[in-house]
Amino acid sequence: MSLALAVAAGILVSGGLYLVLQRTLTRVVLGFGLLSHGANLVLLAAGGRAGAVPLVDGRRGMADPLVQAMILTAIVITFGITAFLLALAYRSWQLTRDDQVEDDREDRRIARLATRRGRR
Amino acid sequence: MIPALIAWHALVASAAPVLARRLGRRVFLWCALAPAVTLGWIVAVAPKVRAGDPATASIRWVPALGLELGFRMDGFGLLMAGVVAGIGLLVFAYARSYFAGHEHPKLGALGAHLVGFAGAMFGLVTADNVFALFVFWELTAVFSFLLIGFEDTKGSARGAAREALLITSLGGLALLAGLVLLTQAAGRASLAEILASPPRGGTVTAALVLVVVGAATKSAQVPFHSWLPAAMEAPTPVSAYLHSATMVKAGVYLVARFAPAYGATGVWRPLVIGIGLATMLVGGYRALRQHDLKLLLAFGTISQLGFLFVVFGAGTPTATKAGTAVLLAHALFKAALFLVTGIIDHQAHTRDIRRLDGIGRHHRLLAATGIAAAASMAGIPLSFGFVAKELALETWIDGPFAGPGNAAVLAGVVVASMLTVAYSARFVWGAFAAKGAFPGARAVGADMPAPSLAFLAPAALPAAAGVLFGLVPGRIGSLVVDAAAALGSVAAKGPAGAGLELWHGFTPALGLSALVLTGGGVLVAARRRVERLQTDAPSPVGAATGYQRSLEWLNLVADRTTAVLQNGSLPTYVAVVTITVVVVPGAVLVRHLQVPDGLVAAESWVQLAVVGLLAVAVGALVRIHRRFAAVLLVGAVGFLVAGLFVLQGGADLALTLVLIETLGIVIFVLVLRHLPERFRAPVGRGVVAARAAVAVAGGVFVTGFLLTAGAARTAAPVGEALIDQALPLGGGRNVVNVILTDFRALDTLGEISVLLVAALGIGALVTAGRGRSREEQR
Amino acid sequence: MTGPSRSPILDVGSRAVFHTVLVVAVYLLCSGHNAPGGGFIAGLVAGAAFVLLDAANDFDPAARRGRLPPEVLLGAGLAVAAATGLTSLAAGATFLESDFVSLSLPGFGTVKATTALVFDVGVFLLVLGMVLAVVDRLGEEPE
Repeated sequence: MSLALAVAAGILVSGGLYLVLQRTLTRVVLGFGLLSHGANLVLLAAGGRAGAVPLVDGRRGMADPLVQAMILTAIVITFGITAFLLALAYRSWQLTRDDQVEDDREDRRIARLATRRGRR
Repeated sequence: MIPALIAWHALVASAAPVLARRLGRRVFLWCALAPAVTLGWIVAVAPKVRAGDPATASIRWVPALGLELGFRMDGFGLLMAGVVAGIGLLVFAYARSYFAGHEHPKLGALGAHLVGFAGAMFGLVTADNVFALFVFWELTAVFSFLLIGFEDTKGSARGAAREALLITSLGGLALLAGLVLLTQAAGRASLAEILASPPRGGTVTAALVLVVVGAATKSAQVPFHSWLPAAMEAPTPVSAYLHSATMVKAGVYLVARFAPAYGATGVWRPLVIGIGLATMLVGGYRALRQHDLKLLLAFGTISQLGFLFVVFGAGTPTATKAGTAVLLAHALFKAALFLVTGIIDHQAHTRDIRRLDGIGRHHRLLAATGIAAAASMAGIPLSFGFVAKELALETWIDGPFAGPGNAAVLAGVVVASMLTVAYSARFVWGAFAAKGAFPGARAVGADMPAPSLAFLAPAALPAAAGVLFGLVPGRIGSLVVDAAAALGSVAAKGPAGAGLELWHGFTPALGLSALVLTGGGVLVAARRRVERLQTDAPSPVGAATGYQRSLEWLNLVADRTTAVLQNGSLPTYVAVVTITVVVVPGAVLVRHLQVPDGLVAAESWVQLAVVGLLAVAVGALVRIHRRFAAVLLVGAVGFLVAGLFVLQGGADLALTLVLIETLGIVIFVLVLRHLPERFRAPVGRGVVAARAAVAVAGGVFVTGFLLTAGAARTAAPVGEALIDQALPLGGGRNVVNVILTDFRALDTLGEISVLLVAALGIGALVTAGRGRSREEQR
Repeated sequence: MTGPSRSPILDVGSRAVFHTVLVVAVYLLCSGHNAPGGGFIAGLVAGAAFVLLDAANDFDPAARRGRLPPEVLLGAGLAVAAATGLTSLAAGATFLESDFVSLSLPGFGTVKATTALVFDVGVFLLVLGMVLAVVDRLGEEPE
C-alpha cells in the first residue's frame, strides 16, 4: 500500500466533512463530492500496490480489477446522487431564494417541549 | 402436518372479517373450525405421540444460515396443544352467545385475532427450532395486544394493551438474547437437542437468567405482573382464553421444558422458585381485596402461575408430573370461572361483588358450574385440583432443597394455598350468595334472565371435567404421566411414573391439605376482619405504579436525548454521526493501529506530487467563498484523483472520472447560475474551529483505518482469480468490464436502477410546483 | 446566459464534432469488453456530445424538439439490462449469467458475440438517458 494514497484519502475526507458541516447547500454538495473521492481512494488503496491496466494480454502484475469495478460503480452513482442533491439545492432556492439550511422548526419544538416537561 | 395446521389457522383468520359481514356473530362458528380441525388431528396422532414418537415437521427457511422452521410435538406439546385447541373450541362456541345483543362492527376482526392467536399458540407449543419458537412467542404478544385493545375507543383499553405489549415484548427481547446465547453455547438451534445434552458454563447461566426473565414477563410473575389485571379490559372470552388458560402459560411452558435439564444448576431453582413464591403470595393477597370478579380471577391467575413456577421449577420427576397436572387443572377450572363471570356480566350487566345478590338461588346450574370450578381451584377433595395439589405438596415434602430451604418453600406454598382457598370462597360468595347489596349499591341478580344452554355449556364442560378427573383420575392421569415423561426427567416405569390417584392414604401431603383447608376456612370465616386489615394496611408500591413511573421516566429520557441529539441543526447531526464514528470504532483502532507489510511512502514521485497538489486544492476549496471558483476547484480535485487512478493502473476509472467531472461542472454551472455569487458570510471563529476539528478527526480516522485494515488481510485477493477467469468465463479481455457486465452484473443492474430513480427524482424536483403556479396565475 | 448570445464557433464546431463523438461512443461501447470502455464510459461520452450540442443552442428546449425524451432512454436501458438477465434465466442458466459465441466473419476475422454486450447496451442507454434528463431539467430556465 502507498502511504501517500492513504493520506490523500484522509485529506479528501477531512475536506469533505468540513464542507458537509456547513449550512450552505452548495458547499454540502461539493463536500459530498470530496467525500466520495475519498471513499474511492480508500477502495483503491485497499486493492494493493499499483499495477498494469487489467487487460488480459499475457502479462503479469496487474492492478486489482475488483476494486476498480467497485470504484467505477461508485463514481457513476455519485454522479447521479450529486445531480439529485443539486436539484434539491435548486428547489430550495426556488422556494426560499436561498440555499441555506435553516434549523428544522419541528425538531426545535420537540427540544423545547422536552425541557419544559423536565422542569415540571 | 403442523405447518399445514398453522396455515389453516391463517386461512380461517383471514376469511373471518369478510364472513362476519354476512354471518354477524355466527362468524365464531366459522372460527371454531380452526381449533376443531386441530383437535381432530391431535386426537388422531395422540396414540403415536404418547408412545414416545413425536410428530415432527420441518420447513427449510434459510438453508445457507442453517435456519429452518423445525416442529416437534412430543407428549407435553400434545397436552399443551390439546389445551389450546380444546379451550379454543369452547371459547368460540361461547363467544357466539356472549356477543348476542351487542353486534359490534369489529366482531370479524376479533374472531380473526382469536384464530390468529390460536395458530400462534399452537406453533409456540409445537416449535422445536428456538427461533421459530421466539417468532410464535412474539406473535402471541401481538395478538394479545390487538385483543386487549378491542374496545379501541376506550383509553383504558388502549393503555392496557400498550402495557401488556411493552412488558411482554421487553421480556421477549430478554428471551431472544437468552436463546441466542444458548444456541451459541450449544451449537444448535433445536430445543429438544439442546435440552437433551444441555451445555453448561457462565454464558449458559446468563442465558438461563434471560430466558427466565422472558418467561416471567409472559406468565405475569412478580414484578412484571401488572399487565395481567390491566388486560381484563379485554372481552371476557379473550380473558378466558389468552389470559388464563393458554398464553400466560407460555412462560410456564418454557420453565417446564428447561427445568429437568437445568433444575440442578446453581442459579435456576433459587431464581425460578423465588419468583414463583413471591408471585403466589402477592397474587393471593391481592385477589382477596378485589370487588370485580374478573380482577379477582386475574390476581388468582397470577397466584396460580406463581404456583406453577414453584412446582415446575424444581425439575424433579415428581415435580414435573405434579406441574403438568396443576397446569391442566388450572386451564380447566380457570377457563370455566372466567366463562361463568362473563355469563353473569352479560346477563346482569355487572360483575361487581357489591351489587350481585342471590344469583345462586335462582340459577342453580350456573352456580353449580361456578362452585365446581372454584372447588377445583381451592383444592377441595374429590376435585381434580385436589389431586394435582396433593402431588405438588408431595414434591416439596421430599423436595430438592436440603434442610430449611425446603421447609421455607413448603411453608410459602401452604400459606399461599390458604389464600387460594379464601379467594375461591370469596368468588363463590361474591357471585352467588344471597348477601344483599352493599351500602349505596343497587342489588341485581334475582331478576337476572337465565342464560341459554348454549351459553352455559362451554363453561359447564370444563368444570364438569374437573370433577370427573378428580373422581376418576386414572385415564387423564396416564395422559399427564406421558406428557411429563416427554419432558425428560420422568422415567415412565419408575415410582413417579405411577398414574394419578384420588386417595393416597394417610400421607404427610394429606395432612398439609387438611391444614390448608382449615387455614383457608379460618380466613373465610374471619373475612370481615381480614378485609378491614387489608384496607387499613399501608398499600406498598404496586407494580402498576412502578410501570407508570418507569414509563414516565422513559419518556423523559427519550425527550431529553432527542432534544440534545436532534436539535434541528443539520451541521449538528453530521457532527454527531462523525464523532460517533471517530470515537466508538476509533477507540478500538487506537489500540490496534498497524501498518500493512510492504507499505511504501509513495508509488512514485509523480504520485507524491499529485497528492501534494490535491492537498493544496482541497485546502483552497474549504476556504473559498466564491461559488464558481469553488466548482472549478472541485473539478480540479476530480482530475487530480483521476490522475491517481491512472498511476495506479485504472484506465477505465480515469476515463470515467474525467467524463463525469466534465459533465459535473456543466451541471453545477447550470444550477449555480441562479444562485448568489458568494456563499453566506462565515460564522464565528469558535464554530469554524470546532467544525475543522471534527473534519480533521474524521480524516485521520479514515487514514488510520485504511492502514490497519490493509494489515489485517488474511486471504488472498480475489482479483487474481477474476483476472484468470475473465477470458475463459466472460469472453473478454477488459477484466473491469467483464466484472461489471458479467461477474457482478447484478450489482450493476442495481446501480443503474438507482441512477434511473435519481434521474426521475431530479425531473420531479425541478418541475415540482409548476402546475400549481400556473393554477395560481389563472 | 440570457438572450440569443450564441457563439458561431461553438455552433458550427459542435455540429461538426457531434456525430464523430457519437461514433466514438459506439466504438467504446462495442470494444469495452476487450479494451478500456464499456457502457458507462460510452454513455457518458454520448451524453457529452448531446450536452455540447445543447450548449451551442444555449440549452433552448425548442432545439431539442424531435429528440426522444430521456425518460424513454432510461426505461429502455433498464428494460434491456433486465431482459438480458431474464433471457439467461429462460435459457436455464442463472439470472444474468453470460454466454458468448465466436463467429468468424469474412473481412472482420473472428468476432466474439457475448450476451454481456447486450447488457452493456442497456447500461449505455440508461446512462445516456440520465445525463440527458439531468442536463435537460437543470438547464431549463425557471419560470
